[in-house]
Amino acid sequence: MIDAMNNSFFQFTAITAVFLSAVLLHITKRNSTAVSLYFIQSLAVAALLFQPLFENFSMIVLLMAGLTLAIKAVVAPLFFSKLIKRHQLKFSASTYLNTPLTLIVIAALAALTNSRIFSHIASIDPDNKKILALAIAVILVSFFLIINRKGAVSQIIGILSLENGIVAFALFSGLEQSPALQIGVIFDLFVWVIIAAVFISMIYKQFGSLDVTELKHLKE
Amino acid sequence: MQELILSQVAFFAVLALFGLGAAAALIFRKDDNLANLSSNSFAILGSLLGVAYSIAAINSDAAIFYEIKSSFPLLSLNFNIDRLAAFFIFIISLISLFCSIYGAGYIKHFYRKYSIGSLGFFYNLFILGMLCVVTASNILFFLIAWEIMSLASYFLVIYERDKQENIKAGFLYFVMTHIGTAFIILALLLMYKFTGSFDFLVIKESIGSIPPLVKDIIFILALIGFGTKAGIIPMHIWLPAAHPAAPSHVSALMSGVMIKTGIYMMIRIFFDIFIDASLWWGAAILIVGSASALLGVLYAMAENDLKKLLAYSSIENIGIILLGLGSALSFAALEMKSFAALALIASLFHILNHSVFKSLLFLGAGSVISKTHTGNIEEYGGLIKHMPQTALFFLAGSMAISALPPFNGFFSEWLTFQALFEGMKSMDSAYQWIFVFSAGSLVLTSGLALATFVKAFGVTFLARPRSEKAAHAEESSLSLRLGMAALAALCLLFGLSSGFLSEIFNKILHGIKSFGDYDPALVVSQNHLISVNGGFSSISVPAIFAVLILAGIAIFAITRFVSKEQNVKIGATWDCGTNLKPRMEITSTGFSRTLIMIFKGILKPSKQAGIEYSDANMRYFPKSRTYVLEISDVYKKYFYKPLHNFVFKISERVKKIQSGNVNAYVLYIFMALILLLFFAI
Amino acid sequence: MAEIILWIIQILILPALSPLCVGIIRKIKARFQNRQGASIFQPYSDIWKLLHKDEVISRDASWIFRFAPFAIFGATLAVSASIPIFASFLSNNFTSDILVVIYILAIGAFFLALAGLDVGGAFGGFGSSREMTVSSLAEGGLLFSLLVLSFMSGTTNLFSISGTIDSLPLASLLPVVLAFLGFFIVLLAETARFPFDNPSTHLELTMIHEAMIIEYSGKRLALIEWASANKLLIFITLGSSLFFPMGIAHSMGVIAIAAAILFYLLKILFFCIAIAIIESGISKLRLFRLPDLLLFSFILSVIALGLII
Repeated sequence: MIDAMNNSFFQFTAITAVFLSAVLLHITKRNSTAVSLYFIQSLAVAALLFQPLFENFSMIVLLMAGLTLAIKAVVAPLFFSKLIKRHQLKFSASTYLNTPLTLIVIAALAALTNSRIFSHIASIDPDNKKILALAIAVILVSFFLIINRKGAVSQIIGILSLENGIVAFALFSGLEQSPALQIGVIFDLFVWVIIAAVFISMIYKQFGSLDVTELKHLKE
Repeated sequence: MQELILSQVAFFAVLALFGLGAAAALIFRKDDNLANLSSNSFAILGSLLGVAYSIAAINSDAAIFYEIKSSFPLLSLNFNIDRLAAFFIFIISLISLFCSIYGAGYIKHFYRKYSIGSLGFFYNLFILGMLCVVTASNILFFLIAWEIMSLASYFLVIYERDKQENIKAGFLYFVMTHIGTAFIILALLLMYKFTGSFDFLVIKESIGSIPPLVKDIIFILALIGFGTKAGIIPMHIWLPAAHPAAPSHVSALMSGVMIKTGIYMMIRIFFDIFIDASLWWGAAILIVGSASALLGVLYAMAENDLKKLLAYSSIENIGIILLGLGSALSFAALEMKSFAALALIASLFHILNHSVFKSLLFLGAGSVISKTHTGNIEEYGGLIKHMPQTALFFLAGSMAISALPPFNGFFSEWLTFQALFEGMKSMDSAYQWIFVFSAGSLVLTSGLALATFVKAFGVTFLARPRSEKAAHAEESSLSLRLGMAALAALCLLFGLSSGFLSEIFNKILHGIKSFGDYDPALVVSQNHLISVNGGFSSISVPAIFAVLILAGIAIFAITRFVSKEQNVKIGATWDCGTNLKPRMEITSTGFSRTLIMIFKGILKPSKQAGIEYSDANMRYFPKSRTYVLEISDVYKKYFYKPLHNFVFKISERVKKIQSGNVNAYVLYIFMALILLLFFAI
Repeated sequence: MAEIILWIIQILILPALSPLCVGIIRKIKARFQNRQGASIFQPYSDIWKLLHKDEVISRDASWIFRFAPFAIFGATLAVSASIPIFASFLSNNFTSDILVVIYILAIGAFFLALAGLDVGGAFGGFGSSREMTVSSLAEGGLLFSLLVLSFMSGTTNLFSISGTIDSLPLASLLPVVLAFLGFFIVLLAETARFPFDNPSTHLELTMIHEAMIIEYSGKRLALIEWASANKLLIFITLGSSLFFPMGIAHSMGVIAIAAAILFYLLKILFFCIAIAIIESGISKLRLFRLPDLLLFSFILSVIALGLII
């Protein structure tokens, strides 16, 4: 009983960490901060993945969680830091909406997820209703990050955090925790990292900046 | 033997042979000769087998149904070959047989210029698509086959891609055929929605569950959709552009066979699947048919490009076929089955005849164009001396299409007239006048068609050459002449055996649901005397042929006898004292100018004159005058251009959504997601 | 046996009499113009003369030019075997249909137009063009006027029509007269008479029929002239036997047949007089006015049709 409560408390904290980092990503101005926030988010998700191990130990789950930890929390942030240092992308480009409006939209999205409509989705697994709602909120907020930001790095980090949100949702929605699921997620991650590597270098070389609004002369 | 030909293996062998032809063309595409030989041989073999199979199928009494289940849901390859489908298989195989024989020689002038392998591939795929279209019994399979047919013919139309107008023609064809397909899909989906099945046979059984209003809507959608493929006015604008652009043996197939597949589906839906038609359906088709016939022949008359002239003439003949179809539908709506059968026999017979003589004409045009390297009639002349056999076959085709006895065109027009006469007698007042109007347009059309083909044959082959190109033409090679000779012989043969063929048509109609058992209005007696409507009319085409031949021989013999001492001297044409020049002969423009001026309300000809003077200040002595005579395309100007502009305006407005900004696109996705979640949950 | 004799008379009487019709018309016209005019048997002498002359054929002409006169004459012979001349009881179910007659005559027109084009002269070309214009517009009036009769008698067989029309009540005279008016206009058009064409003009620019045959000479010209005389008599016969079949023999009998032939000759005479009067009385119309006249003929026939259906 206490274990269950502890577990759920632990889960709740983790998902809150994920959510908060997603929100904070909106406010950061510096790319390095964004990467750090992503790092924290990935740690939280990895922790969520490790959690079933406490109840029944399984080699596969350990492997998956370890792999997720490695790639999401170690390789990706390192990679991004190197990228930022190489191209000197210290500061993230501006956003479309200014900060107060951004925060209002985030609040609206959060309220939306708690509304009646989304509660149907969240009721897939009634025990974890609040957690599922938070996971959906992460997804929506990350989407909004992609829409709002002009800089390419921020957009990619947004996609990765979207990824995290989806993984969290999948974890708690009662899907079978098969290795295939995790491998799928990791494969997706790989793809994004590679895309980030190749394209950011190319775009930067061609256009001299990563601001999407500058990327207008596409024809040559 | 009949069992062997009629077996499932034989049918799939036919399809397989064409498939093999397509594959062989691709495999051997590096070697022109081998690709040509292999693709055409497989096509010839497949056509022969197809002809044998279809004849056996028409003779047999059993219904033939094959089914191949596929792994996709809802799509199962059902083939239903009743006698009507067998008849169309016969037409497709017969014409593709002779077109392939012709093509073997004709393609040679594409060697080293274009890829013969792709020509062979698309040609075989095209025929395969047509065969599947007429035998498909499942909506999805039918649509797939329809699409294969349209796409293969599109690639064949743009085959000679160096000429810019071919590309434009191909694009127009592509757009129009897909607009038609959209209407067809709507009609078929409506049928699915109310009967719950994709299978034609099941739809036939449960036709009662479609409410009458929906049936009317399906009728209109099917008429427009299949009519676009058939080329009725006003959806015809792709025909005069696409048929000349394709290689000639493909034009023959397209004009002779492909446009009939639209008519086939109309017959299938209106007579076989729907059993109680409304009266206004027949009237609508009659009006559409009369308009197509008249306008088609008027535009053909005004046309100076040989293949475009033939394409407009196809529109005219589709109009005549629709006259028969419309009469049949009107009679069927009033449960007058015998007369409906008569009218439908007229329509089916004209389909057969038109495919034979139109292919013959297109093949002849192809020979002429390939030897003179121009399609403009104004540059021809005197070709009968250089290409005597081609001229003879083209003459046979011209006589057939002008409905002159004893060729086949005469009998099918005669039957169409009989159907219209019957309608004039038995319908009540408003519909009577529609039949009167249709008969009037048919007789005017046939007169104008005669004039058109006098022009086409006369200006092309007779008199002196009007240009250097025509002066140096030569006779075509053997395979071309063989293909044309066979078709010309068939024109005469089908005309002479009209009685025999009418009996076969009666048999075919017994298999269609709207008819079942009926008292045939068309009766063939022992000595090939055909009488219709209980003796209202009767003719015998072999007798006409015999009388004509006898009269001709008699007068020839008598004249020979009387003037046996007289000589024949060869001299020059009367030239009024000047030198004989090509400019003294009448031109194609001049020949048709009178008729164009008479019908100028419809054709809207325009004349622009320009003049250049020797001395610009004095302006007494003109150095040169320029005349530009044009027939404006009424449909493009008043129907399609406004539609086109409207669609463009809307597209310009819609274009604003595409801003080029990634964030905007993701925003669209996001909004869509939220909206979907709202409405789905 | 008797039937065979009748058939032989039937086939031979038309070609034999046709030049006489042409002669009669010319004589009457001459009288109107205050001339003596040639004898009414002059066309026979003309044909005889032409048959015994040499021919000159253009070197641009092909086999169509040589073949066309036989085709045209053969077509008129075939039609003369299919129309009722003096006997309505002869039965020919094979070729005696209104559409068949129209289309066999169209074969003649087809080859004549091609022959006009074949020599590559200026006149033949526009002659063919005008001929095609007139004949394509005239077909409608012709078919519908004959159609009126066939609806009234319940068959399209010409012999049967001639058998039933004169036994109809007087009230049905109006559609017959209207249809006949339409038919008469087409008769003038198809036989190249005034107001459509002047058969004796020498001005090439005013020719329609004559322009197409301008290159013919010798025996072929004889055949063509004879064939156009045949065509004239065919149309006159159609008019007299179908629209006014009084006096036609309904049964076998020497007196009936002799009387029928007499009546037939009288009716031809009436028609020839009528045509000659019209030719002397009105002028030839401009080419672009002719379609209106032909449309008028079509409308007359359609009105007649409307009265009976």
